[in-house]
Formats: sequence, structure tokens, C-alpha cells
Amino acid sequence: MKLVAFVSDYKMTVDTLDRLKPEKLGIILVQNGVYHATTKENGKPSSLLNYSANYYVLQEDLETRGLSGANVLDSKVKVIKFGDIVDLLFNEYDKSAWL
Amino acid sequence: MATTKLGFVVQRPGYKSENPKLALTHAIASQSVEIYLQDGDLVTADIAFIGDGVLNCIKGQKAVENYDLNSTESHIKMALLLDLNVLVCKEDLDRYGLSESDIVIDAPEFGADMEVKVVPYSEITQMMEEMNHLLFF
Amino acid sequence: MGKLTIGCFASLVGSTNLDFAVKLSAAAMEKGHKVDLWVSGNGTMISLKDQRAFKDYSSLEKPLKELMAKGLNVTACEACAESRGYHADHTLEGVKRFSMDWYLGSTFDADRVLHIGGE
Repeated sequence: MKLVAFVSDYKMTVDTLDRLKPEKLGIILVQNGVYHATTKENGKPSSLLNYSANYYVLQEDLETRGLSGANVLDSKVKVIKFGDIVDLLFNEYDKSAWL
Repeated sequence: MATTKLGFVVQRPGYKSENPKLALTHAIASQSVEIYLQDGDLVTADIAFIGDGVLNCIKGQKAVENYDLNSTESHIKMALLLDLNVLVCKEDLDRYGLSESDIVIDAPEFGADMEVKVVPYSEITQMMEEMNHLLFF
Repeated sequence: MGKLTIGCFASLVGSTNLDFAVKLSAAAMEKGHKVDLWVSGNGTMISLKDQRAFKDYSSLEKPLKELMAKGLNVTACEACAESRGYHADHTLEGVKRFSMDWYLGSTFDADRVLHIGGE
């Protein structure tokens, strides 16, 4: 399956993502999930960025949290807007998961 | 005639949050969805408990006695009565030191023929592959 | 063009999940997709009319009305609403109220389903 997962928390309370093994995985960072794209703890990037996945982060939620500067963003992550989420849902992935 | 298959994946424990219960009540609602469909069309619901969600399945819940609320246990039994496919992840049960004797497996008092299936995670993955849509709780 | 069914179970006040759902609905409709929005559990709070808008709390009545006028189909879980004291005469005009099977019925012909249910 081609699965796109929405991550809305910085500290995850579920480990579901560790075990999902879709043929194609997209991870969209929204709400507090955007900190995975920007924040390093003790100098280390978030371990959530270690999956073999395409990463996206919602621009509005970055900006809302004062994180819109490109210099803070991990290079793996592409900044997108709501319209891009719609296109990803309909064109790139066949199932979604809000974790 | 067509069938849409929904996979309800419960990954959190219940009671503090309403969501695990809502997973079950929505899945059970698959039994009355025909009023919105053409003759012969179906929406089916499979339920999988994974991660901390397996804790919803511990038997002997006394939610009625303590909170005057239907227990998650009773909703699982209702799902069995309605012949829904209910899967529980074996690896996660093992992680918590739980076995089949600790969780809801059947519901003879409800008149249910179906039983909960304790399966390896690989079978839950397979179920998820077979579904048209996934709903994570 | 396709159909997107969104389910959202989080409260209007205290979470931005419904804000996300409404913004995503708008974006999908902008691209010509049909959108059904199902709200259940605490999410039924969005169905209440005459909520006073404060800048410290999410308030979605205005965008919801605008989107419903353009065809957004919004349905609230009737039992979830009633259990919270949100009765039919408190319901925002245009929002429907049905039992949970409506959500499953909506998924039948949906091309995509986004279920925002965690928490």
C-alpha cells in the first residue's frame, strides 16, 4: 500500500509508525509534529526523520509556531500547503493514517 | 454490488479518552449502514488492537459498576455478536505479559459465534493491506 | 474529481484538529473535489450555533457556513451531540445530524478517507 501518515505530535504516544511497512510511505508533519522538522534535542535531529519516507511539513503550522525560517528546517523535509496535501492524498498515496 | 472495507486500528488505551470506544461504536455501526447504500452494496469493518490499544481487551472491566458506563469489553463482545473480525496483536500482548486467558476472547453470553483472533502483527499488516480505508484511533 | 471523507473527533475548543479539517476541506473543494465532513465525539461541538468568537479559542462558524454554501456536506453524530446537550434546535443551519452509520456510508464511495481520531 501507499500510505501517507499525518504526525501531529512532537512526543508520540504511539509506536505505530515503527511497524508500518508500506511499499511507499509519506509523512506529513502538522500541528506540533512540525517540530520534528526543525528541532534538535542535544544536537540530534528527530529520530522520526530516520524512516525511508517522503517528508512534508505544513507551512501554516511552521509559521504559526515561529519556525518559518528556512535555516531551521531539516533538508529532508519539503514545505507544503493545504492544497499540496490534497494532491498528495489523491495522487500519490491510496491510504492515510492520522497517528 | 460493491464492498468498501474499513480497518479500525485501535492503538491507545481506553477510558481516559473516548476514542477507543468510538472506534468500536463506529465499527459496530457497519451493521446498519445499508440505509445509505444501494441494495447489495456493503461497508465492512475489521477491528485491530495494536500497541497500547491491546490493553482495551483485558477482561473483567467494571465500567458499569464504577462509572455507569458501558465497558469497552462489552463493546468488543457486541462486535463479536455482529460477526465483526476482531484482531489483537500477539507481540503486544506478550510485551505486556498478557495471554489469551487475560483478554476478551468470546462472548457466549451475548450469543456470539465469532471469537477474537490473537495474531502476529504480520497478519494485522495483511488486514490493513486488504482494506480500502484505514481509521486509526 | 474525487470525493474526500474526513472524520474528526476532537473538540473545537482545546484542539486545532477541526481547524485542520475545515482548512483541508476548503483546499479540496477549491480543487474541485467533493467533501463530506463527519464530526463525532467532542468534534460535535462544531455543530453548535451562536458560539461567541474570541481570539483565544478556535471559531469556525464563519468558514463552515461559507463552505457549506459551496457544497461542503457536514454531519454530526446525533448521539454524541445529544449526550453533550447539543440539541437539534442548537444546531448550526446546514449541519445534519445522523447516527454513526452515516460516516461509514459516506466512506462507501469516497476515493480517500482521512480519519482524524487520535488523542
